[in-house]
Amino acid sequence: MSSNSGSWSESVNLRRVSVYGVLVVMVAFYLAPLETGLMTAFKTQNAFFSTTPFAPPPADGVTVQPWAAALDRLGPGVVNSLLFAVPATMLSALFGSMAAYGMTNLNWKYQVGVLSLFVAGVFIPYQSVLVPLTRFWSMVDVASLLAFIPPLADRAGLIELGVTHAAYGIPICTVLFRGYYLSLDDEMLEAARLDGASPARIYRKIVLPLSKPMFAVTLIYQFTNIWNDLLFALVLVSDPSNAPVTIALNTLKGSMVQQYNVQMAGAFIAALPTLVIYVLFGEQFAKGVAGET
Amino acid sequence: MARLTLDSVTKRFDDVVAVDGVSVDIEDGEFLVLVGPSGCGKSTTLRMIAGLESISEGDIRLGQTSLSGKRPKERDIAMVFQSYALYPHMTVRENMSFGLEESTDLDDDTIRQKVEDAASMLDIDDLLGRKPDELSGGQQQRVALGRAIVRDPEVFLMDEPLSNLDAKLRAQMRTELQRIQENLDTTTVYVTHDQTEAMTMGDRIAILDGGHLQQVGTPLEVYHKPANRFVAGFIGEPSMNFFEMEVQGDRLVGDDFAYPLSEESRAAVEGSSHVTLGIRPEDVEVVEEGDGRHEFETVVDVVEPMGNENNVYLAFSPEREHSFVATVGGMRSVESGQPVVARFPESAIHLFDAETGAALKNRSLDELESSEPRL
Repeated sequence: MSSNSGSWSESVNLRRVSVYGVLVVMVAFYLAPLETGLMTAFKTQNAFFSTTPFAPPPADGVTVQPWAAALDRLGPGVVNSLLFAVPATMLSALFGSMAAYGMTNLNWKYQVGVLSLFVAGVFIPYQSVLVPLTRFWSMVDVASLLAFIPPLADRAGLIELGVTHAAYGIPICTVLFRGYYLSLDDEMLEAARLDGASPARIYRKIVLPLSKPMFAVTLIYQFTNIWNDLLFALVLVSDPSNAPVTIALNTLKGSMVQQYNVQMAGAFIAALPTLVIYVLFGEQFAKGVAGET
Repeated sequence: MARLTLDSVTKRFDDVVAVDGVSVDIEDGEFLVLVGPSGCGKSTTLRMIAGLESISEGDIRLGQTSLSGKRPKERDIAMVFQSYALYPHMTVRENMSFGLEESTDLDDDTIRQKVEDAASMLDIDDLLGRKPDELSGGQQQRVALGRAIVRDPEVFLMDEPLSNLDAKLRAQMRTELQRIQENLDTTTVYVTHDQTEAMTMGDRIAILDGGHLQQVGTPLEVYHKPANRFVAGFIGEPSMNFFEMEVQGDRLVGDDFAYPLSEESRAAVEGSSHVTLGIRPEDVEVVEEGDGRHEFETVVDVVEPMGNENNVYLAFSPEREHSFVATVGGMRSVESGQPVVARFPESAIHLFDAETGAALKNRSLDELESSEPRL
């Protein structure tokens, strides 16, 4: 018995060692690009040329100057991105949730037809709407419409970008919320009806508070998508002062000299907000993906 | 307070008729149990009363006013669901006050008072601050009940409220529900598939099958005077024994035995060529030997000891698959394979038309009266 358990624990140890070995290799594989980028961002231009990319900087080659330079040039872009990405994310999640409630937990005619329009909306590629989108925003001239509020009129490009992303995000948010609302207990919603609550009150008092995990999922998903988008930004934003961080990041690529350290520092700065969002909503996100209510 | 009237209520889902012309009058303060096998339309009937389903034909009236076309919130009805349907993100107190907040103009103090009164009636006052997932099944059940009681509605609707509880708790809640209903004296419609709940709780029982109302009556009426074969088989545990018989003059002849009829029974089967003979397990007398007209040689197949009594499965011969049940006292020793004589007293038999299932003759209740204590 005891010798049995001895060999058993040995084999378990061996298995554990191999499992951890594989895990370490995988961690190294996935972290290598990040590590390389981070190291590069702390090297002087000379140190970068004299060392291998993933090696730490030599003692005389350490610098934070690339970070200062990147921050200086990306700062306005980060602010611009936050200005449209945060409202667009929240609006698409909120409208998606409302639409999903209306099409899942309420009964009305032509529901299926409307729902299929939403599902179709998920599959429209960005590229295919570029022309109609620019035509639309040239007909709806936001800058002159808001001319009486100069601070908003100056930001017309960002408003267009925000509205576009909010609208574009509604279908996928609706589909995500619908999956979640299908799993809500019908009897619970009927109990609320018998308790005298109107459909709007049921949404406000019962469905919305129960949707927190799904909001975490859609907020993370939408924010990452909108924050990282370059295509709509290139097409819709003409005024350089309204350029979001993705466009600003692109300008770090010099035309004559490649400043790799500044580019790497800039990439980290541009990626930071999406990481923060993951950390903030991570727990709820896991619940939402696991389908917990 | 008012009586609830179902007037030829019919519900169609596309081509399927779920409820077909059901009419019942439920008196003010009465406890009516709607019972039937799954899919018989009992829950649909309840949901029509609640306003969660529309009525295809007929009318439901509370007092003099028709409920059809009224929305659930205008009906002054509270419902307890099988899944309890508590709001998981709200505390017990919030769960119970939600209905009052949504459907009345009461101020916060009055609502708090009402919730606390209902909670103490149900013995859940110390749970008011908890969320549903911190409660046991029995406690959740009480909260669901409290949510209905606090509304002080005209009618309670209950859709299998006890079916998620374990057997012991269910028996306990059964008694408590009856006590609460008696105290509040609120008209109640209770849906269940469990005939024990129906028998023990209801003032009257309405039995549904295939969307049709089979019989409405007090528990003892439906037990002793079933309107048809379905009711006879559905009410009672273990179920009534049935034998298919052919009428031949003054005898009934079946595959296994022939049963001589008295003059009275013969008159009852007049006009039927085939009948079903029914007898409840407790009415089958198991004797060692006999030579009477209604006694039959059988062999004990299986014995199910229940402690207080034994359910004995008897076969007419060891080769026959078909067996029937007799209930004998728990202290009586009966062994599998033992030959015994089963007596079907004529006063205890039921006769049903083989085609329509309608009762032709029910058991006589003379014994029931004579069994009362004589001084």
